[in-house]
Amino acid sequence: MENSAEMQRFIEQEQQKAMVSEMVGKLTSVCWDKCITSTPGSKFSSGETTCLNNCAQRFLDMSVIIAKRFEMQ
Amino acid sequence: MDSFSSPSMSSSGSPANTEALMDQIKAQLAQAYAQEFLETVGNKCFAKCVTKPGSSLSGSESSCISRCVDRYIEATGIVSRALFSSTR
Repeated sequence: MENSAEMQRFIEQEQQKAMVSEMVGKLTSVCWDKCITSTPGSKFSSGETTCLNNCAQRFLDMSVIIAKRFEMQ
Repeated sequence: MDSFSSPSMSSSGSPANTEALMDQIKAQLAQAYAQEFLETVGNKCFAKCVTKPGSSLSGSESSCISRCVDRYIEATGIVSRALFSSTR
């Protein structure tokens, strides 16, 4: 195939996008289940917003800890 | 890396071809993303809003669903901002 370098760059970019999109999607699903316990209103309460924020950031912290835990062995 | 050194990109006359292929892939990916998102939102909002399915969707169920969809989109934004703004 011609332009294989260009194509390869394109595919790498799209793979990265797909990874990001999958992570955001999964985390949204997990944090939605954890944080949105009542029926959705016309606006998030500040508690819900904070919970979603914290949930996503703590999940990242956890991933780091788990990665380190496996490096130690 | 050294595949970048091949200068045949513009002379071969096929960039249009490659570009068309990339556009097609992009469109298909966009469709796949949208489809997956729709499926997730459907599952989440069905669980939240239609707790006891009746013979038809009630008015309150319908309005719950449209609020739920808006909130899920908002939640997606909050989560992606939380991931990519503070840690980088």
